[in-house]
Amino acid sequence: MKRHHAVVRITHWVNVIALTIMIGSGLRIFNAYPAFARRGETFCCYPFEHQPIPASLTFGGWLAGARNWHFAMMWVLGINGLIYLAFIYLHGEWRDLVPRRGIVRDAREMVRFYLTVRKDHPRQGKHNALQRLAYFAMPIVGILAVVTGIAIWKPVQLAPLTNLLGGYVWARYWHFWSMLLLVALTVGHIFMVFTVDPYSIPSMITGKYRPEWSPEARNARPFVHLLPQPTQHEPPAGS
Amino acid sequence: MSRRPDRSDEAIRLPSHIAERAGLDRRRFLAAASGALGTLALAACDSMGPRSAKRVLMLAESGNEKIERMLFHHTAMNVPRASAKAAGSHFPAYFISDTVPVWDESLNGVWHLEVGGLVRQPLKLSLADLAALPRTGYRLDHFCVEGWTAVATRTGVRLADLARLAGVQPGARYVDFASFDSDYHESWDIESAMHPQTIVVYAQDGHYLNAAWGAPARVYSPVKLGYKNTKYLTRIMFLPERNGGYWSDRGYEWYGGV
Repeated sequence: MKRHHAVVRITHWVNVIALTIMIGSGLRIFNAYPAFARRGETFCCYPFEHQPIPASLTFGGWLAGARNWHFAMMWVLGINGLIYLAFIYLHGEWRDLVPRRGIVRDAREMVRFYLTVRKDHPRQGKHNALQRLAYFAMPIVGILAVVTGIAIWKPVQLAPLTNLLGGYVWARYWHFWSMLLLVALTVGHIFMVFTVDPYSIPSMITGKYRPEWSPEARNARPFVHLLPQPTQHEPPAGS
Repeated sequence: MSRRPDRSDEAIRLPSHIAERAGLDRRRFLAAASGALGTLALAACDSMGPRSAKRVLMLAESGNEKIERMLFHHTAMNVPRASAKAAGSHFPAYFISDTVPVWDESLNGVWHLEVGGLVRQPLKLSLADLAALPRTGYRLDHFCVEGWTAVATRTGVRLADLARLAGVQPGARYVDFASFDSDYHESWDIESAMHPQTIVVYAQDGHYLNAAWGAPARVYSPVKLGYKNTKYLTRIMFLPERNGGYWSDRGYEWYGGV
């Protein structure tokens, strides 16, 4: 039994490439005017007005190059996202991702476990409560990024949409925020994969996964119990 | 014919070859290889990306243009936010010449705007002629390709009115706007040119244009990005084919729609 269906694995890696290029080229576009204020105004809510993003984080070389990449890759990102969402809806994987009843309590227990307040790993299915929340939030933030992106692409032809988001300046600000949220979710995801469950990396490539090496079986928190535990089947002392 | 090293061949032969000579074991080789890959990935940042992608990018651009032209509606009007402040003197000035382009009357005679190409009656209008024509004014957003916007009131003559005056022929599908700012020009699709907010502007915020903002006249429309709106206007040509443009020939989208 594969842990992830081939469609999920392929769309995951296509998304890695598309999102990386979208963010890199987006930051290069942002650097052409690294501020949000309308000319002759000041902007309330961004502390780094007129400070460019380091060039090493950008992609596209110059404004036109970055725009060409951004407006081509948006189709890959969008279509790939639609394939993924349609697949998990039709194939049933969405059940592993939508928040269940008690998600807040379960998430709190996971945080308590990671903070070593709680000793034993909370019981989970395919994903723990924090993963569920993150993987559920990712497509929602992705959709926000797409919608705000369309709003600043066509602020005249699709003026009602842009106005709904507070006008061009605010739509551009929300577009930037949706990028920041995607980056935050991704950084958290990559950190947890490498420090808690590196054995899940092959499962996103070949689909193979050893349940006996799962974080729950290893009682693993970041950097702790990274190696499979030989004594995992013995009952904990004192229980 | 271009001779390029066969990369697939390299990928098979080179690694084991290097590993052997360096006397590395497999694990150390993998570590070194992943380090090299990381360096490569870093080097790719702030680059234009692989050159072979250019054709795909151009294909995407022409596809996007079809979608943008489908989305285009004459009735979609720009109305800046009520709370937006006019940019006033903060309105940026852009031109491609080394110094602010100024029409030199002693050299070129009195400035005129020519309207020609596929028209029944070519026009040659002085600033006074333009000012005497039916006046249109809008408070409008300016959308720069760089991402900034600025609000200004633009006053002038609707291009659709000039087109009617000149008697544009049915074969005209494109419009080229030429300037005296070096060889700056940009061509548009006729649909965008005939939008009611596309204006040959001679006044901004209630005053005749100053030299920094494109005097004596410029084209302006909120349905096009800033660089499509030629300043220092000299000639408007109605054409059967598109005629590129200064920035569109240098990598920016030709359509540049908003």
